[in-house]
Amino acid sequence: MGDLFSNLAIGFGVALTPLNLGFALVGCLVGTLVGVLPGIGPIATVAMLLPLTFYLEPVSGLIMLAGIFYGAQYGGSTTAILVNMPGETSSVVTCIDGHQMARQGRAGPALAVAALGSFFAGCFATLLIALFSPPLAKIGSSFGSPEYFSLMALGLIAAVVLAHGSVIKAVAMVILGLLLGLVGTDGQSGGTRFSFGLVVLSDGIGFVPLAIGVFGLGEVIANLLAPEQSRSLVDKKVTGIWPTREDFRQAWPAVIRGTTLGSILGVLPGGGATLSSFAAYVLEKKVAKDPSRFGRGAIEGVAGPESANNAGAQTSFIPMLTLGIPGNAVMALMIGALTIHGIQPGPLVMAERPTLFWGMVASMWIGNLMLVIINLPLIGIWVQLLRVPYRLLYLSILLFCAIGVYTVNNNPFEIILTAFFGVLGYVFLRLECEPAPMLLGFVLGPLMEEHLRRAMRISSGDPMIFIERPISLGLLIAALALLVIVALPHIRSKREEVFQES
Amino acid sequence: MTSDSVPPQPSSRWHLLARKDVLAGFMFVGIAALGLFLSRNYPIGTSLRMGTGYVPRLLCWILLGLGAVVLIRGLRAGEAMGGPPLRWRPFLLVPGSLLAFALTIHEFGLIVATLLLIGIGSLAGRELRPLEVVIAALVLVTMTYVIFVWGLGLPIQVWPDL
Repeated sequence: MGDLFSNLAIGFGVALTPLNLGFALVGCLVGTLVGVLPGIGPIATVAMLLPLTFYLEPVSGLIMLAGIFYGAQYGGSTTAILVNMPGETSSVVTCIDGHQMARQGRAGPALAVAALGSFFAGCFATLLIALFSPPLAKIGSSFGSPEYFSLMALGLIAAVVLAHGSVIKAVAMVILGLLLGLVGTDGQSGGTRFSFGLVVLSDGIGFVPLAIGVFGLGEVIANLLAPEQSRSLVDKKVTGIWPTREDFRQAWPAVIRGTTLGSILGVLPGGGATLSSFAAYVLEKKVAKDPSRFGRGAIEGVAGPESANNAGAQTSFIPMLTLGIPGNAVMALMIGALTIHGIQPGPLVMAERPTLFWGMVASMWIGNLMLVIINLPLIGIWVQLLRVPYRLLYLSILLFCAIGVYTVNNNPFEIILTAFFGVLGYVFLRLECEPAPMLLGFVLGPLMEEHLRRAMRISSGDPMIFIERPISLGLLIAALALLVIVALPHIRSKREEVFQES
Repeated sequence: MTSDSVPPQPSSRWHLLARKDVLAGFMFVGIAALGLFLSRNYPIGTSLRMGTGYVPRLLCWILLGLGAVVLIRGLRAGEAMGGPPLRWRPFLLVPGSLLAFALTIHEFGLIVATLLLIGIGSLAGRELRPLEVVIAALVLVTMTYVIFVWGLGLPIQVWPDL
C-alpha cells in the first residue's frame, strides 16, 4: 500500500506541473472537439492528432494523447445522445436510450449521468491500474522470448475472438498486418523485404500513414459515398443539466455494475470500450425489474454502458503499459507513439522510467476530472459544433491528414502511402474486414518475429520449446481454447447476440 | 468491385462474385500470392537461423489458406455486397487530393499545396457551393499556417521556390 501512494505521488508530481496540466487540458479539449464531430471516431481522432504530440517530451506527449483519447471517447457519447449518430462503436448502445431521453427533453440529465458515471469509472479504473500494474510487470519481466511469443499469439487471437465480425476474416487481417509489419529491412539478416525496389520503403511502412490512411481517410471516403443522413439533432435547448433525485437512485447501481464489468473486460485483449459498453447494456436489461423501459429512455441504459466504456477504455492501458501488448486499436496507436518517442513498451518501462509511467497514470485521473468540468458547462458549444455540415468538415479532415503525415518525416511519399491506405481502408470497410486486428498485427509483427528467432536460437531450432516451457504452453493452450470455443455453434450465436444489440 | 446499384440477377454467374466474402477471399488470396511471388528469391534459412524469407513466406502461406476458406465459404453461402453504389468521384478524388498535395508541397510550398488539396477535394463531395469552397480555403489556409508554421514552428516551406 505504501508503494501505491509513493508511486502515485511521483505520478502526480509529474502530471500536476503547469505544463503537463496544460497539455492534458489541450488534449481533452481537442479530443472532445474532434470526437463530437459526427463521422470521426476515437481511433481516427487519435491517429490524426498523433503527429501533433511527437514534438513534445515523451511524458507530455503521452499525457496529451491520453487526453485526446478520453476526450474523443466522451465527445462520441455527446454526439450519440444528441444526434442519435454514434461516432464510434463504443457509444452505439448509448444512442438507444440516451437519444430517447434527449427527445423527451431530458438531454441534460442524460449527458450529466454519462459524465458523472464516466468520472466514477475513471477514478476506479485509475486505482486498478496503479494497483495491478506493478505485479503484472513483475511477471512480465520474468518472461523469456518463448513466453513473449506465445503471449503475443494469445493476445492477437483473443483480440480477434472478442471483437465482432467474422473470426476467420479477422485472423486473415491479423496475418495481413503481420506481413505489412515486415516490410522493409530485416534487422537480423539485413535483407530487404517487399519494398518493391523503393528506397523509401526500405525503412518499412510508417505507422502514421497506415493508421491515418486506413482509419481516417477510409472513413472519409465511406462517408462521402454514403447517402446524406438526415441528422435528427435535438433542437430543444439543453436545459436543466442536473439529474433528479429519482434519476440518481436509478443510475448509481448501474454505474457501479458498469464500472465493474468494464474494468474486467477492458484488461482482456480485444476488450476495451466497445465490448464493455455492449455487455453492460445487456446486463442492465437483464437485471432491470421492467426491461420494457429500455429503448424508451431508461437512464440505466445510459449510466451502465457509459461507465463501462470508460472503465474499459482505461483498464485496457494495463496490458499495454505493463506487457507491451495492445488489446485494441487505440492501444496499438499508443504503442506506436511510444516507439516513435524511442520507448520500447514492456515491463521495463515502469522500472526504468517511473516518472513516465506514473505520470501517465496520474494524468488519467486528472483527464477524467477535466472532462467533467469541460463537458457539462460547455455543452452549448459542442451542440453548435454538431451543426457543422459534413461537406465542410471533410475538407479540414483531408488537409489535417495530409499535413499531419507530412510533418512526421517531412517526406511527401508518406502522404502518397496514406492515400493508398485510405483506398484500402475503404475496401476493408465495404468487405467487412475489420481493420483493427490488422493494426494490432502490424504493431506486433516485427516483435513477434524477433522473439520467434530468439526462441529458436535458445532451443537450437526446435519448435518444441514453446510447448516444453510451462508458461508458454499455458498461454498457447489458452489461445487454442479460445479458437475452439468460438467455433462452437452455441457460443457463436451468443457472441453475435451480444454485438447485435441495436 | 462492381457497382450494385442494379439488383443482382439470381441466374447470372457474376452475382456470385459480387458477394462480400467472395471478394474478401479473392483479396486475401491475391495479396498472399503477390507476397509469395515477391519473396520467391528471399533466403529462407533454417529454423535455427531464419533467413529473410522464413517468416514472410510462412505468413503468406497461412494467408493463402485463410483466404481460400473465406472464398469457398462465400461461394457456398454469402451475403451480397450491400451499401451505397460506388461512385467514382469520392473514390478517386479523395486520394487524388492527397496525391496533389504530396507532389506539390516540396516545390510549391504549403499554400499552393493546400489550395490544390481543397480544390480537388471539394469536387469529391456533393453540393458544395463555389462560395463555400472559397471561404473554406481561406479559413483552412490561415488555420494551417497559424497552427503548424506559426504555432508549432515546423520547418515547412510556405511559398513556392522561385
